[in-house]
Amino acid sequence: MTSSQNPLWRFPGLQAIIWFFFAFLYVPIFVLVALSFNKNDAATLWTGFTFDWYRVVLENDNIVRAAQNSLIVALSATAVSTVLATAAALGMAGRRFKGQNVFNALVGLPLLVPEIVTAVASLLFFLSLGIPLSLVTVIIAHIVFCTPFAYLPIRARLEGLDPRINEAAADLYSSPLRAFWRVTLPLLLPGILSGAMLAFIISLDDFVITFFVAGAGATTLPVYIFGMIRIGITPEVNAVSSLLLLLSIAVVTLSYFLGQRGAAHSS
Amino acid sequence: MTRAAPTVKQRLERIDLLGRWGLILPAALMIFSFMALPMLVMALISILEPGNFGGVKWGAYSGDAYQKFILERDLSDHLVVNTDYLSIFSRSFSLSAVTTVLTLLLGFPSALYIALQPPKRRQILMFLVSIPFWTNLLVRTYSWILLLRNGGLIQSGLEVIGFRGSLNLLYTDFAVQVGLVYSFLPFMVLPIYTSLEKLDWRLVEAAFDLGANRWSALRRVILPLAAPGIASGCILVFIPALGSYFIPELLGGSRALMIGNLIQNQFGASRNWPFGAALSFALLAFVLVLMLLYALRFQRNLEAQS
Amino acid sequence: MNSSIVISNVSVIFGGGANAVKALDQVSLEIAQNEFFTLLGPSGCGKTTLLRCIAGFEIPSTGSIRLDGVALEGLPPFKRPVNTVFQSYALFPHLTVAQNIAFGLQERRVAKAEIERTVGRMLELVKLSGYGARKPAQLSGGQQQRVALARALANSPKVLLLDESLSALDLKLRQDMRLELKRLQRDTGITFVFVTHDQDEALTMSDRLAVMRSGQVAQIGTPSQIYDHPRSKYVADFIGDTNFLSGIVRDNRLETQSGFVPIPADLPQGSKQTVAVRPERLRLVSDGGDLRSRITQIVYMGNETMYHLEGDMRVRVPNNAGATPQYALGAEVGLVVPLSAVQPLEDAS
Repeated sequence: MTSSQNPLWRFPGLQAIIWFFFAFLYVPIFVLVALSFNKNDAATLWTGFTFDWYRVVLENDNIVRAAQNSLIVALSATAVSTVLATAAALGMAGRRFKGQNVFNALVGLPLLVPEIVTAVASLLFFLSLGIPLSLVTVIIAHIVFCTPFAYLPIRARLEGLDPRINEAAADLYSSPLRAFWRVTLPLLLPGILSGAMLAFIISLDDFVITFFVAGAGATTLPVYIFGMIRIGITPEVNAVSSLLLLLSIAVVTLSYFLGQRGAAHSS
Repeated sequence: MTRAAPTVKQRLERIDLLGRWGLILPAALMIFSFMALPMLVMALISILEPGNFGGVKWGAYSGDAYQKFILERDLSDHLVVNTDYLSIFSRSFSLSAVTTVLTLLLGFPSALYIALQPPKRRQILMFLVSIPFWTNLLVRTYSWILLLRNGGLIQSGLEVIGFRGSLNLLYTDFAVQVGLVYSFLPFMVLPIYTSLEKLDWRLVEAAFDLGANRWSALRRVILPLAAPGIASGCILVFIPALGSYFIPELLGGSRALMIGNLIQNQFGASRNWPFGAALSFALLAFVLVLMLLYALRFQRNLEAQS
Repeated sequence: MNSSIVISNVSVIFGGGANAVKALDQVSLEIAQNEFFTLLGPSGCGKTTLLRCIAGFEIPSTGSIRLDGVALEGLPPFKRPVNTVFQSYALFPHLTVAQNIAFGLQERRVAKAEIERTVGRMLELVKLSGYGARKPAQLSGGQQQRVALARALANSPKVLLLDESLSALDLKLRQDMRLELKRLQRDTGITFVFVTHDQDEALTMSDRLAVMRSGQVAQIGTPSQIYDHPRSKYVADFIGDTNFLSGIVRDNRLETQSGFVPIPADLPQGSKQTVAVRPERLRLVSDGGDLRSRITQIVYMGNETMYHLEGDMRVRVPNNAGATPQYALGAEVGLVVPLSAVQPLEDAS
């Protein structure tokens, strides 16, 4: 395509901007993680390396409970939303039919409505129906906004599949169900996995909606961290924040490489 | 006239359609029941009277919640203009607008740089952009407290080069602005990059060939063709910025309130559900109008071009 | 020759280290003013790279390109008085046909009224008057092609570069466009440099052409020089259909396995030699002939019949004359080889 040897394609100033761009994105994250290993508990002065704050975090029962809640919510929301999303993507794939746009609009809803609006609507809905706020309400809310995130990669993956492969399977004596099991599902798996991981991250990271619909005892990790930050800045917050950050980064990276492998397979 | 019996093809298609809806319905019902329906409930509550201790008076309809945006009752029960909320709205809008402009100014050149790299490098750079996109926004916001606060990294850095005294950067509109730009920058870059990646660079070559220099080619070819991506980037930044809650909560001062904080207040200290619902509903309506405008402007464009 | 473009010793190397690819290897050629010059060769031969060097999209690793005596080194494409008709046309999808054509003139700050006049004239030139307000997507492939042409010509470039510009069109349209291009070149008096892999295009349109092979120029000449007097096996094979006959030079004749072929007098006695003979220049006879062979396959092709003979030879016989005798599969026939049809090749093997 473009010949990189040709200075024609070098727009002046872009190089400087890109350095600033990545520094701006990553310096705060590095500072946070670095400070979580700082011996000094007061400020930003580096006084030595320690794992102490992580030990403190892991010994704090409230944090451990919040982390457990986060995992319970994220795992259940991921499981349910991935199943819902896979089914829906299969239903939407292939030919065009009436009413498809209704579902497209529904799936788009959680993506474009500001979180605070979703949070308020969910809270008011549960309260007016007299449903007590608990971990269950949190899970329900999470399933709703995780479904589109799981749906999109699965849909994209299905779109990329050659529709002829099902005909080929049928030609080779597979019933539609067997064809799905032996052909479609294995090919779809990378999409499903990456969808599930995105759902997991989105659920794990959510603060606003959880903050509104979580009842007493249903505190998740981000909600607990928010509470800690409001009380004061401690190395403990740095440590637990770093843990959450690294977990997200790990899952994104995994999902990215799975996606890459999937893409390499299909091409 | 007799109705012809359905052909085998028609019957198969009907079965196929049933199967499809069977697959779609669970997800559709889930989102409808716990997203669309709650919004209708929210709309309903926004036109009810507030209960005395939180909650609402069912069946008691009132437009007070919306009236409250600009008017309030003074001690002698006259309606007078109240600019308290208006100023929060305008601060929210201007902070979000500036956020959109700043992320665009930083995000577009970055996306352009990445799109001009060889494929391998492009992938790595986009991966680096998408990591912050998927990591916890709350924690990323918190990291700025470490940088901005008195005695924080920025001040310590300035002290090294001889600066003394407190900067008082944290808990200001400036801090909120920085936090908003930082949080939503990846939202701007991803759609712009997507549109640049799809751009046919031979068109830019054609522009060069016809005498356009880099700036001219950027203005006359690259920008117009990347316009859908730029517009969706702006929407993806502006909407969540407008509805942001914890960024102003954590980085802003007590006066640096945004709509999100105002809404949250109605379910906390203020206990005025209808007002909170009305604010949320107004925000939602605004977002939907924005999306509609986007769809009208760019959907047609895309169809014409394809 | 009044040269418009002088290309000397141009090399282009892509990549580096072990993966380095020489796209162009010491290419030198001159293109005259008002000439329709064609770069012909298979894909990967470097013809497009050479074109892109002239346009300024690739930068030669060595060598120089001069246009009307001015060195083009260091000049970006937007400062060169050349314009390109791209293979994909590269029409701006967000602009109308008229806006596309006006693009270059606007860049050069030409007055509005002047632009309007030129655009009108160009639309007329490519027979698209009345299409100015349309978007490229609303045009057929042939119409898009003509807009791309008009867009480039509007700037009255010194040289027009055409990169495989007809290859996206269907056969009928392509043949019409060949005449159209030739007419435009005559009418405008602009130097055309045309890149193609299609030998028919090259032969029918060019004043001169250069046949290229893996980054080098294999032969330059007029279409008839190239067709009738290919210097190498590569050129003879790439352009048109050819029989290769190999043998030893004896007594001003070439002694081959199936007989003696007359050859020009200046070839050294006793040397090994290969000559090229076009299938349509051979004549089939029942008795006698310079060579004897047997018919292995007969292919009817409408206006002519192709006879395949033992020894990897082919003869084309026109079908128009009823007088032409019909030969049967397996029949032994003689071949008459006129001396004028025999082209000795430089690469003897």
